[in-house]
Amino acid sequence: MNKLFLAAAITGAMAIPAFAADYTIMAPAAPGGGWDQTARAMQNALQTEGISGNVQVTNVPGAGGTIGLAQFVNQSTGNPNALIVGGYVMVGAILTNGSPVSLANVTPIARLTGESDVIVVPANSELQTVDDLVAMLKADPGSVSWAGGSAGGVDHIAAGLFAKTVGVDPTTVNYIAYSGGGEALAAVLGGQVTVGISGLGEFDAQIQSGDLRALASTGAERLEGSEIPTLSESGVDLVVENWRMVAAAPDLTDEQKATINADIEKLVTSATWQQVLETNGWVDTYLAGEAFETQLASDIAATETILKDIGLVQ
Amino acid sequence: MSLGEPNLSRRPDGAAFVIALVLAAIAAVIIWQTSLMRVPPIQAKVGPTVFPYVIAVGLIVLSIGTAFSAFRGSFPAREKINYRPVLWVVGGLLAQMLLIGWAGFSIGSAVLFAFVAKGFGRGPLWMTLPIGFVLAFVIWFIFSRGLQLSLPAGPLERLIP
Amino acid sequence: MDTFGLLADGLLAAIQVQNLLYALLGVTLGTAVGVLPGIGPALTVALLLPVTYRLDPTGSLIMFAGIYYGGMYGGSTTSILLNTPGESASIVTALEGNKMARKGRGGPALATAAIGSFIAGLIATFALAFVAPWVVKAALAFGPADYFALMVLAFVTVSAAFGDSALRGITALFIGLGLGIIGIDLQTGQARLSFGIPDLLDGIEVTTLAVALFAIGETLAIASSTSSLKEEVLAVKGSVWMTAQDWKRSWPAWLRGTFIGFPIGAMPAGGAEIGTFFSYAAERKLSKHPEEFGEGAIEGVAGPEAANNASAAGTLVPLLTLGLPTSATAAIMLAGFQQFGLQPGPLLFTNNAPLVWSLVASLLVANLMLLVLNLPLIGLWVKLLTIPKPWLYAGILTFATLGTLGANGAMSGRLGPIPFSFELLILLAFGILGFILRRFGYPIAPVVIGLILGPLSEQQLRRALAISQGDPLVLVSSPIAITLYIIAAIALLVPLYFRLRGKGALLQQMASDED
Repeated sequence: MNKLFLAAAITGAMAIPAFAADYTIMAPAAPGGGWDQTARAMQNALQTEGISGNVQVTNVPGAGGTIGLAQFVNQSTGNPNALIVGGYVMVGAILTNGSPVSLANVTPIARLTGESDVIVVPANSELQTVDDLVAMLKADPGSVSWAGGSAGGVDHIAAGLFAKTVGVDPTTVNYIAYSGGGEALAAVLGGQVTVGISGLGEFDAQIQSGDLRALASTGAERLEGSEIPTLSESGVDLVVENWRMVAAAPDLTDEQKATINADIEKLVTSATWQQVLETNGWVDTYLAGEAFETQLASDIAATETILKDIGLVQ
Repeated sequence: MSLGEPNLSRRPDGAAFVIALVLAAIAAVIIWQTSLMRVPPIQAKVGPTVFPYVIAVGLIVLSIGTAFSAFRGSFPAREKINYRPVLWVVGGLLAQMLLIGWAGFSIGSAVLFAFVAKGFGRGPLWMTLPIGFVLAFVIWFIFSRGLQLSLPAGPLERLIP
Repeated sequence: MDTFGLLADGLLAAIQVQNLLYALLGVTLGTAVGVLPGIGPALTVALLLPVTYRLDPTGSLIMFAGIYYGGMYGGSTTSILLNTPGESASIVTALEGNKMARKGRGGPALATAAIGSFIAGLIATFALAFVAPWVVKAALAFGPADYFALMVLAFVTVSAAFGDSALRGITALFIGLGLGIIGIDLQTGQARLSFGIPDLLDGIEVTTLAVALFAIGETLAIASSTSSLKEEVLAVKGSVWMTAQDWKRSWPAWLRGTFIGFPIGAMPAGGAEIGTFFSYAAERKLSKHPEEFGEGAIEGVAGPEAANNASAAGTLVPLLTLGLPTSATAAIMLAGFQQFGLQPGPLLFTNNAPLVWSLVASLLVANLMLLVLNLPLIGLWVKLLTIPKPWLYAGILTFATLGTLGANGAMSGRLGPIPFSFELLILLAFGILGFILRRFGYPIAPVVIGLILGPLSEQQLRRALAISQGDPLVLVSSPIAITLYIIAAIALLVPLYFRLRGKGALLQQMASDED
């Protein structure tokens, strides 16, 4: 009986060609994280809007996305149905981990969402403005402890760039890495560190409740209706923005690229996607084509420089 | 098994000496690898190398202690290993590991299931393999299709849309 | 509306027949998936979360709470019966619980776990509802130096899990500490002991290590031993229910476990399983039957299980008040809450009070439902032991590999043209390690404990010293840290003193004076 079933199944396997999903999106992170949420939101929107009939999400976590990226490049070359979600964190991770593959090995499609970092202090801190922070940093860089996400990540890069921009040696930045913005939040709230630096989403609720004071955001412009000044408004000429993107497999033809580009454009303009952005509090920073590739190249170059300045990369 | 009476003969225990050597070797590897690390200029006070060295030193001390203990024969007595079943189980795990990447979860796990059952004395394989396959396929279907867990799919799994 | 009114409203909504059914369904599903060996609560909740999306908000919240409790309890069931903990928090439960199960006392072990979880869940949920804002303030006062002191205390007390030889226990702990170094160093981003293998950059996954050492190691140990292969396991010897003596020994342990677990779970720096270590150590120190520890002492199941559940409720404190998930399960719950329109954070209790109270009510109802479902099922669960060994262990390994693949299914290894999962290779390697350790009489739990505590203590120590710019005095400059060091010193020195004075006679005297 079982043998019969097996035999039938095997004959069947040879007769019918494998059913292929329209898109397979790789989230190079564990289920639940930002990249995973982005991939699953894309899956949902692509299917709901009828842009694609069948979308699968696979999770390949590890090492800032570089493990997933390596597997993607190895297995999906030339496959027009394979997509990968990624972000700024990958840029730093590729450099610090000495990853054998980089973003040059994939076909960048578009930047989807973005988020600025904010610099916060506890409500009872003496620091009132960015100028106070700059003064303290210049007087004794070691006395300012910065709590943020893991070493070499966006938060660390932003802290290093901040010091460099105001004329302080980035290697003297006393950066305390926490395993996520949330843990850094607890350290700031408990008054364990001088300042916290992480994504706005991590600190937003405490800023609104008055437990934390935001000194500045690292974005290019103020968020709509926000009272948090940007760094450039505060006299520090610096913009650091975290972003998430979608990329396709290497070695695609121009036609294949165009098809994917068109599908993603339909996705980001769809009502479902806009609703997802709204629910999750993500900021739409859609940027595609050559503009995105230029921005990516400049981000990679800037990141490499600052990681060398901080001393994390040789 | 591990609850046996202490080795009453109190003769030096050869296998336990090997453990002492392995502990020392691990310590050596930790020290060697850590010495190769490039410590970034930041945080030079208690850097990323301090804990590895402390643990390596601890392992060396424990290795010496284990050697003494082995010499006094104070490890619990051990039952003779029955190698055949162990090899079936390890073989099943290896076979599954090498199969699932291309043959899919169900075939890989069927082999694991049948090999383990064989190790525990239940066979023959032509009977246990199909049982394992049906079980694994049902599990695959529930978890992969029903609960959206990403499990490796092979040619058979792809038959199910 | 006042607090009690809101809670009453929440409870009234929760006990509608339809919602009770959702709770029952959630508990059943959670238990069914959680009971599979090698699949811990985090994976269970992650897998079943989407099932709840189709219901109305109250219904989905209640079903979700049911899944959560069911998954946790299902995990302890397999730890006790099969010695296959699917995650770090039920390792300690397996220590005594499995010994009990092997003696035909699996029924009382499951019962004390179920009732202990219920009582701890009840007390801790009320604590969550009424004192969360104060608890979180106290928890935030813990700085890196205080956490380091807590870790030192944990290192001193885990010696209780060492078994009969201090040398082998400490060796097992150091193996775990050594494994803990592997991967990217959080503070500097530098890879340590990863030998150029990308899969090692994130370190050794605690769950993989636990499943390997326990499930795979145990299978190999039983397979290798002719006498264990033939040994008939008695599912039930004596009563399947708890005896009067069991009750008398369990209830103080439940309460102690609850009071140890809740605050530790509430701490923002993670390590929710540490409460179970402390609880086990406390029970072992306070027990009037210390000789039974390591042989199946019921307190050793009752305390840690209560601590586990209380600490799970404790992790909701930073999760709800700060939006900070401190465990893998909590991270998945956060995603769930957001789907239900609950935005955790400091304003949650003021802005979103009705939802918070319906969550609390859901937790209470689900907790009760778990007891209602599982107490009658104990007789059925212990039957697991009577499954013939070939099928039982073949099934255990199938599910253990499924759980490992489900958490990390990347086919990142390559042997010639064949892709394979590196995580499964790690599983096999540590399974063999677990076999060798068992064979030479090394305890298994300290390896996992070392892997958990090592990185935590290192990071906290280095953070403390970085913030103080290298001044070591920071380690002993806070009252919390000093208190913790004093407790550690007492825990270490007092038994030593008594042993020297009167070979433990005084200690037993003191213990019996407590009545």
